[in-house]
Amino acid sequence: MALDKKSSYRKNFSLGVTFIILISILFILSLFLAFNYSKKSIENDFVSEKVNVLEQSIKPYNDFFQNKMPEISYYNGYLDSSTASKFVDTLMLKYPFISKVTFYDTEVKNVPVKDGINANHLGIGPKSIYQFGKGVKPDSVKLYSEDDTRSFNVGSDFNAIAIKLATFVEDLDTASVPTQEELFTNFSIVNSNENKITYLNIPRRADLRVYKDMIRRKLNPAPVYPQDIMVFKLDAHRIKIVNTRPSLYQTIRIEPLTYDPIDTSDENITTEIALPGAFSDFKLYLISSKSYIKKEIFIYFMPIALILLLVYGVLLLVAFLIYRNLNINSKMFKLQYDFVNNLTHEFKTPVSVIKIAGNNIKSAPVLSQKEQQLYGKILDEEADKLNGLMNKLLAFTQIENKSIKLNQEEVNIVDFIESTIESHTLKHPDFKITYEVSGFKTFITDPVLLGSLFDNLAENAYKYSKPEQKKLHISAKLIKGVLVLRFTDKGIGIASSELNNIFKKFFRIQNEYNQMGSVGLGLAFCKELVNFMEGEITVKSKVGSGTEFKIVLPYNS
Amino acid sequence: MVVLIWACKGSNNDTIPVDNFFKTQDKAYYRISPDGKSLSYLKLHDKKLDLFVEDLATGNSIQLTHLNGKNISFQFWTSNNELIYYTEDGSKERRSDIFVINKDGSKQVQLSANEKNRLRVIEDQLIDDKYIIVASNKRDSTVFDVYRLNVRNGKMEIAAKNPGNITKWMTDSKGVLKIAVASDGVNETLMYREKENQAFAPVITNNFETTLQPIAFSEDQPNILYAISSVNRDKNVLVALDLKSGKEKQVLFANDTLNVVDATYSRFRKKMLFATCETWKREKFYLDDSAKVAYSIIDKLLPGTEWVIVDKDKTDKVFVIRTFTDKNPGSYYLYTAVDKSLKKLTDVSPSIKPEDMNAMKPISFKSRDSLTINGYLTLPKNKKPINLPVVVLPHNGPRSRNSWGYNAEVQFLANRGYAVLQVNYRGSTGYGKSFYAAGFKQWSDKIQEDVNDGVKWLIAEKIANPKKIAIYGNGFGGYIALNCLYKNPDLYKCGGSNSGVINLFSYLKTFPPFLKAKLQMYYEIVGNPITETDYMRFASPVFHADRFKAPVFIAQNPKDPSVNVAEGVQFIKELKKRNVQVTYIEKEEGPDPVVRQQSRTALYKALEEFLKENLGKK
Repeated sequence: MALDKKSSYRKNFSLGVTFIILISILFILSLFLAFNYSKKSIENDFVSEKVNVLEQSIKPYNDFFQNKMPEISYYNGYLDSSTASKFVDTLMLKYPFISKVTFYDTEVKNVPVKDGINANHLGIGPKSIYQFGKGVKPDSVKLYSEDDTRSFNVGSDFNAIAIKLATFVEDLDTASVPTQEELFTNFSIVNSNENKITYLNIPRRADLRVYKDMIRRKLNPAPVYPQDIMVFKLDAHRIKIVNTRPSLYQTIRIEPLTYDPIDTSDENITTEIALPGAFSDFKLYLISSKSYIKKEIFIYFMPIALILLLVYGVLLLVAFLIYRNLNINSKMFKLQYDFVNNLTHEFKTPVSVIKIAGNNIKSAPVLSQKEQQLYGKILDEEADKLNGLMNKLLAFTQIENKSIKLNQEEVNIVDFIESTIESHTLKHPDFKITYEVSGFKTFITDPVLLGSLFDNLAENAYKYSKPEQKKLHISAKLIKGVLVLRFTDKGIGIASSELNNIFKKFFRIQNEYNQMGSVGLGLAFCKELVNFMEGEITVKSKVGSGTEFKIVLPYNS
Repeated sequence: MVVLIWACKGSNNDTIPVDNFFKTQDKAYYRISPDGKSLSYLKLHDKKLDLFVEDLATGNSIQLTHLNGKNISFQFWTSNNELIYYTEDGSKERRSDIFVINKDGSKQVQLSANEKNRLRVIEDQLIDDKYIIVASNKRDSTVFDVYRLNVRNGKMEIAAKNPGNITKWMTDSKGVLKIAVASDGVNETLMYREKENQAFAPVITNNFETTLQPIAFSEDQPNILYAISSVNRDKNVLVALDLKSGKEKQVLFANDTLNVVDATYSRFRKKMLFATCETWKREKFYLDDSAKVAYSIIDKLLPGTEWVIVDKDKTDKVFVIRTFTDKNPGSYYLYTAVDKSLKKLTDVSPSIKPEDMNAMKPISFKSRDSLTINGYLTLPKNKKPINLPVVVLPHNGPRSRNSWGYNAEVQFLANRGYAVLQVNYRGSTGYGKSFYAAGFKQWSDKIQEDVNDGVKWLIAEKIANPKKIAIYGNGFGGYIALNCLYKNPDLYKCGGSNSGVINLFSYLKTFPPFLKAKLQMYYEIVGNPITETDYMRFASPVFHADRFKAPVFIAQNPKDPSVNVAEGVQFIKELKKRNVQVTYIEKEEGPDPVVRQQSRTALYKALEEFLKENLGKK
């Protein structure tokens, strides 16, 4: 049986080892995969995230182009130099990439113009031209007026948009309604070579119809319509770059579309994306050094690794706990097995004595009176022993299940101890018991339970003492309102490693003193009793010199 | 029992469908024959409007026309036996025909066919038993010349050529064209000639702030014209004007607090009967005792109701009268002077039950600069006038006012449980010249303050729930609503604009640049975009999308040529971008009445939903 047990332990152990090795391999493998994944993911991000950088950086431009620039149309051609100047000021403050604005205060007339575009009877010409911008001196704001026509440049942006307007009007189908987008594209020019946007305030449909009429014939009276043209000169280098992933991109620059440096060392990795609209000659150039990227990969990988480690740790812990529980359970199994073993032994002796006595009585033809008395006494004694054993077992289970009730009686402590001493010295004449009492005379408790407690402790003291050292000192004191009982013997003592176990059920110290007549219930029973009486039991012991049990009980008189 | 339950349900939950409010069919066109014996009218027959004549003595009706695909625009009697009617077809050019027909339907003569030009009647009384005086644009589509139309053969001969600036013509009681009103959009010149062969000579010139409205020629005094005039006065009065000197000869009716809006002349009695003044409601002032005796009977027969004479016979014996109140779009009655009897002909809008409508009450309050501002308050019935949700309805402009009478929009909102506040802010007409002029160039300042002061007054009166106030308007009303909304976020919970002006630059652009005088007038009323660019920018909501916080309702017709739709769309986009809650409705307007009605229903349902969402919550 012992062999079986050992082999079962060995099997558990190898299983455990296999398990640990397996999860360790799994752990390392997942770490490796996680690292590879992190690397791929960061490398992908490096290529794909630039779209977000572009989107965020170009947002002000889009806002300007789609929302702010069309605001010129709100003025319906009534913009003058001072309002235009204010308008441009707010624009430049909000959109730093606008470097210069030229404003053409334009008139569409039914008479030919000197400067500008004439389409049959339709004349489109500037009334005055202004420029606004950071570097523009106050005296050079006004570039052109009808009195001072020198600085009008024929090849300027004005002619381009004027031709566009004239063409649009000429091809206009007055019956249909042009869409919003159609109008926008027809009245703005995006010039990416010079980074310029030209915008003409969108005329109303009714105006366009009159314009068309004006191309064909002279109207009477000849109308003059105001139109505003603004040319925005943009500077790509003043776009505020928004680095949405500063940990991914070390530096982002705006470079011409053709920029392609030769000294691409292995140190850096780069990617690029072209800018839209008026900036389409430029691109965003994004650079990061390899070590920078590595750092990012590591930052990405770390939390994954930590989570894996945590999972690994939890798995190990669970494995350990399962192992420990199995161990405890096997110990419990052993204790119960021992108990059954001991109990059988305990029962065996009186039963065999009764059997022998019974046999003798049966086989003897005549029983003398002496024999009859002898057998009677033996049978009586052995029956008592059996009864005692059974009572003890029963009482213990009852106490443990709390199925009995506490009797409350006044007990005279001196009388109680003396009667205990008397009964024990009667059984064991070589047992020397002394006692002391101080601080009180009587208290209230259950005398039966207290008797059991005293008997068990005295029994233990006797049992675990060398023949010449069978001594016990009982002290009962009232200290600070509680009863303190001490049972001090000069016995063999208990090893400190076992001290924690002695109150457990079915526990017995393996030694020569308790081979017979012990089930390992005594001290467990004592502990249950004390607990039941709402007290505490502790033990102090030294191997070879003796043991002291200390019981603290509540004092009520 | 079932009826009782239904009745209870009806009184608790008396929400009237949107369409009922707006379904007005003012297409009766009752006319009385000169002898007062027959009544002609248009009536829906097989879903088409046709011309009918009723013999008043017998009550028998005859259907004269069986039109298909054509609508009668107008009809009138030329003699006791003959009627003229004018039809237009449904095509884009609205081709027109003119017919003459006997009242028994026997003899019909077509005077013109498939004409592309428009025709207006100046004088329907027959001259020389064959001519009527009409105005037509057949020579030049932009101007109306005056013609003599021969109703026997349809021939038209020109009576006066319009140099291009004449906006109004007038004949005397004998059908002689004597008055022409020339206008350059700002200044109006009254011109007069004594005889048809003479040239028109200017009598008096007034600018647009001043009213001079010819009513009738005096029959007993030569060269005397009765006219409503505010020349050299603040309020309109009724005067007799000497056309030779241009001076007032006599003031027939004047009162420092009353403004004359209408005057009624009787050719039969040869005198002015009464002047109609409008304060919070219209009121008649009889100028002659015999007129008072004759016409106050109608007042007694129709208590608490306003009435106007739509048509009458030659001898002032039989009248067609149109009535209305604040709760009732009105009815047509036939009044017979001999037996003083009143007979109802038809209701203008049968779907409106006056008892379900809400009373429109006049209010007045002091503005912050101590000007008395008048207005109207319509409270929902069955509700205590305490702590009510309010919709403020600033009226359209720039030459307009709110008047007492049935207003579908007001009644619709009141029926939905809102108190409706209408403010005749400064710049409104009808309160005198100075009040009108006080609104010039104040569209973004004092006019809005007047509206706000009205709201504050309503809050002080404890009628308004200060947390549940919305502002909504059409045209310039929408302009005021949007401006008030973003400038007073603490006062208004939400606001809306229907075909509203959102940009003054665009608004002024709707006048072609060659109408210099007219533009100049609007520059004076609204503001000058050339010299006051900054103010115009400040005053236009389109530039201030960034200041809007409260929910906005915007409706516009994307095909409206007078509105810069692109601008509206851009404005809405900007608002949405700034997370302003915008309800945008694209209206459809067109000649098709079904489409128009569907579009209108959708608009008001959306408005109802918008208001409920923003004012309904606790």
